[in-house]
Amino acid sequence: MFWQLLISGLVIGSVYGLIALGYSLIYKASGLLTFAQGDLLTLGAFLGVTFFTVLKLPFVVSLVLAVGFGFAVGMLIEKFIIRRLLNKKVLIIYVVLSTIALSYIIQNGTMLAFGTKTKYFPAIFSISRIKLGSIYVQMESVVCILVSLACMLILHLFMSKTKLGTAMRAASMDRVAAEARGINVSLTTGLTWGLAAGFAALGGMLIGPVYGVYTTLGATIGKKASASAVSGGYGNMYGAIVGGLLLGIIETLVAGFLSSEYKDMISYIILLLFLFLRPTGIFNERALQD
Amino acid sequence: MALLELHDFHYSYGNIHVVKGIDLTVEEGEIVTLIGANGAGKTTTLQTISGLTDSKGVRGRIVFNGKEITGLKGNKIAKMGLVQVLEGRHVFSKLTVEENLLIGAFTRKDSRKIREDLKSVYHRFPRLEERRLQSGGTLSGGEQQMLAIGQALIANPKMILLDEPSLGLAPLIVAEIFEAIREINREGTTILFVEQNSKIALNTASRGYVMQNGEIILQDTSEHLMNDENVRKAYLGGTD
Repeated sequence: MFWQLLISGLVIGSVYGLIALGYSLIYKASGLLTFAQGDLLTLGAFLGVTFFTVLKLPFVVSLVLAVGFGFAVGMLIEKFIIRRLLNKKVLIIYVVLSTIALSYIIQNGTMLAFGTKTKYFPAIFSISRIKLGSIYVQMESVVCILVSLACMLILHLFMSKTKLGTAMRAASMDRVAAEARGINVSLTTGLTWGLAAGFAALGGMLIGPVYGVYTTLGATIGKKASASAVSGGYGNMYGAIVGGLLLGIIETLVAGFLSSEYKDMISYIILLLFLFLRPTGIFNERALQD
Repeated sequence: MALLELHDFHYSYGNIHVVKGIDLTVEEGEIVTLIGANGAGKTTTLQTISGLTDSKGVRGRIVFNGKEITGLKGNKIAKMGLVQVLEGRHVFSKLTVEENLLIGAFTRKDSRKIREDLKSVYHRFPRLEERRLQSGGTLSGGEQQMLAIGQALIANPKMILLDEPSLGLAPLIVAEIFEAIREINREGTTILFVEQNSKIALNTASRGYVMQNGEIILQDTSEHLMNDENVRKAYLGGTD
């Protein structure tokens, strides 16, 4: 029982981690909170299931296309909504509110485009489950965990080892100084939103085969992932990953051993606990006003 | 033709007119200073030349190396070889010293030559090499200023602009920084710097502009400015 729950926790936790990474990247690059992350997961999942079942494309191709589409949507959101509003010098809170609008537009849009019925991925892999020690694990779960972790590792390498990744980190620390060093900050900010949305779409592609695809799939995941971003240390990439995994595991264990009625509440209780007791999160990110 | 020219240059933040029509030129190879009291418009002038202020506020013409750069974005201007050293606290606090320096070479593609230039920055400022793996935020004020200068140097620029290189630094460090600035100029890089410490500014530059309330009120060789009675009274404290 415990091991089975742990795997389930890692599955949803790795998806929380992917979404939370997006929150952290965007917060660092633009100083903003976005509410659309979860709905971009939904969009990615719907696109993926369409590519896979309707267009009959291979799973990997469907995944790459869905992620690429998500990336493009993220960049467009930044360029045509976020940056325009910021250039108008509206207060930050209004920009955040615009992402709530965006969230519902995407949610409703997916409903109009793909319908209200839950869509299921047909069997993707020739082996449906594998034996790990004493338990059987669904292949979709294994893929979800491994692909998420691999993509997180790739993101880490990209951000820390490449010139463009370093430039993106530099731009998120000090925009003016980055511009003075010849970095096109508008571009790096756009890329950051693209990455965040691409990660959300990836999350959708990975969780879709496990949970099924429906219009509010991302909404709940997105909200809970914000709790994991806070518990990790809001704005910290590594905190987002660790926070996501931990939250997924805790929530699943609570549901399994106590009662599933607590499952949806536990994330938000943890969120509040962190805000009061350790606002800087596990990774000690700046959280208080100077 | 001068390397940098400002013609009837104005800058306003909304309704507040902070630079009121100045003309300024810097010839290739020169080292020139812009001095004046706090709030005179010096930093705004420098930031605007580099494209780091909102371009809506600019009027007049800025020409660098024969090309008009008025209103261009900062990253484009940096690519043209006009590079600004921001105040030291603008180094990237969470990047290491070496990452900070390499980001200075962001616009360059010649990685072998970048490595050589990195070495020469370390040669000029050995303390940066000792701290190469430390994050920028852990350096002292003087070291951060050295790092900021190193970031500009590694871009291999035609011209460097410096904003208050002495700000907040101990006298001994200030002397060291200005010695480095003189040396960089001797090696062929054109320099324009803004400074509140008029004495060290005029000792370093060959020519100077004096700015007051958004206007240039005097311009001359440093020697003449140092002997000018008004400058002595207003900016050199009248002592020694």
